[in-house]
Amino acid sequence: MELRLALRNVFRNRRRTAFSLAVIVVGTVVFLVLLGFLGETLRSTERSLACESGAVQVADPRLFENQATGYEYLIAPAMRDEVAALVTEMPGVGGVTWQLGFAGLVGDEEGSTLVLGRGVIPCGCPDEYGCIVTIGEPLPANDSRVTILGGRLARKLGVEVGGRVNIATGTVAGTFNAATVSVIGELVYSPETVEEQLGLFPLGFVQRLLKTDGVERILIRLTDLAAADAFSDELASRIEAAGIPLATRTWKELNPSYESLSTFYKAFSGLAGLAVFALVFFSVIEVLTLAFLERTREVGTIRAFGATRWRIFRTFLLEGASIGAIGGALGVLVGVAVALGFNATGATWTPPGAAVPQRIRLDIGLTTILIPFLTALAATWASALYPAWKNARLRIVEALHSV
Amino acid sequence: MGEASRFCHFRGERLLEASRLTKIYRVGGEPVYALRDVEFVAPQGDFVVINGPSGSGKTTFLNLIAVIDRPTSGEVYIEGEPTSTQSEGQLAALRKTTIGLVFQSFNLIPVLSAAENVEYPLLLQGSERSPRRARVAAMLAEVGLSELARRRPSALSGGQRQRVAIARALITGPKIVLADEPTANLDSETGGAVMDLMRRLNEEHCVTFVVVTHDPAVSKYAKRRVRILDGRLEEGGDHGMVDSAS
Repeated sequence: MELRLALRNVFRNRRRTAFSLAVIVVGTVVFLVLLGFLGETLRSTERSLACESGAVQVADPRLFENQATGYEYLIAPAMRDEVAALVTEMPGVGGVTWQLGFAGLVGDEEGSTLVLGRGVIPCGCPDEYGCIVTIGEPLPANDSRVTILGGRLARKLGVEVGGRVNIATGTVAGTFNAATVSVIGELVYSPETVEEQLGLFPLGFVQRLLKTDGVERILIRLTDLAAADAFSDELASRIEAAGIPLATRTWKELNPSYESLSTFYKAFSGLAGLAVFALVFFSVIEVLTLAFLERTREVGTIRAFGATRWRIFRTFLLEGASIGAIGGALGVLVGVAVALGFNATGATWTPPGAAVPQRIRLDIGLTTILIPFLTALAATWASALYPAWKNARLRIVEALHSV
Repeated sequence: MGEASRFCHFRGERLLEASRLTKIYRVGGEPVYALRDVEFVAPQGDFVVINGPSGSGKTTFLNLIAVIDRPTSGEVYIEGEPTSTQSEGQLAALRKTTIGLVFQSFNLIPVLSAAENVEYPLLLQGSERSPRRARVAAMLAEVGLSELARRRPSALSGGQRQRVAIARALITGPKIVLADEPTANLDSETGGAVMDLMRRLNEEHCVTFVVVTHDPAVSKYAKRRVRILDGRLEEGGDHGMVDSAS
């Protein structure tokens, strides 16, 4: 009967309750939509970063630490295959590929500029080219002399798809080598400064250009990105046990800016939660104080019949929690409807670190629903604490004589 | 509520007793005596009507013997036990089990139905749902409100509300029922009916009733009349007659 009493008291003054519920619903919806947006953005960034760098990479520690002076970090084919065999034995692997990068010059008779070449296995990665967006033809699955240049680099050189450019670089042995390649496409990349220098090439071509059969890094895609840390640790111990002088890094370790972004989003979510909590708390506390004050004589009556102070306190808290639960549930329903409606519009934006606009989606997972609901519930419940305590402390005689 | 208790006689035990009861309020720093060295005894089955003009100390006295207020000095004994040394929790338990209250303004909870209002004290006692409901139905039948059990107080007349309040006061089987001006908000006919009901319940359940009123017409229902004036109690009132049943 206590819950029934609490629920009936909630709807005793409908206008007042409607105001409280409106505040709670608005707070819940705003928080839910914000969390949905931030959550989806963060996940999208995670996917994008991990897609390009692989969930886990294996390479020579000197490469990871930027301590190499030449190409001494290259992984020979036998070692590469040994690592690949170890990787494929492990559960949760979605794919394995390898890359070889170089720095050189690209240009024509008119002039040249710096190029950061990346030799990739066409179609080797399930997300081709490590998720870099390309325009034009894909790289063919052979060693032909072709390239996909960064859009800004191509414009800087004044070359279009179908044109030809010269590539020049030092070989692994330190000699000079050059080749002419056809431009078959352009790529879009963020940041723009990298797009001004980046070029993709078939791995075999880059190996011929550098005169090596080695690769610089092995990229591993996982079916569950969240397992990257554990996978990396396990793989590192297997590699060490096999006597291979290579190290592992997770996508988070390779992209330290992600932690800052994640921390910022979490802090922003926390602040938004606090703001919603404060909005609900300070709006509802006034309403509840007034509502509880009007029932002073009832408190006196119930206490005169033997109810303890604790029981009175509990009854009012239950009422506060009921308003919070109803408002929070309504807020979640409205928020989910807003999110679904928004997702259906197909609106786009360019998130931090992305090269091209992406569809805005609002995440409506369990956490996104639960956190705003619990925030609304906690804020309303907390706002009931003081008036409930005050009512519970009333002297019976004074309460009975209240008008 | 059985036939065995149809006829109630004084049993001599001092069910409710007040000894040298004094209550002083401070008004502008000055002491004002609401009650002064009051002595009072009510045995089981008594029906005491306390008369007195406004401000004479009636309600203060009722509050003290209902253990919802504490005296400045003196003692209230319930079933021989002193109450001044008891904690808030112990007094709450005493009110829950031994004392029923009826108020001038009925003090029903507006969001609960008549039946739920009567049920509430049983809930405080933690009684089980099924026997609780049966007891409420029987009590409502006894006060003649079975048909109106589901109505909210706002849909009941003044007399019906006071009947609900009486049923609520009696539902836990208290030994003492204290009524503060129970007819003040009722017309004379309805007030008479309510007093008839209280007197019948006193006889049938052998419950001690202490009724505080300034209404002279209520005195005729008394087994014993007490007058209160300027905070002092004196046996025998000026109004009405002691009922022949006493």
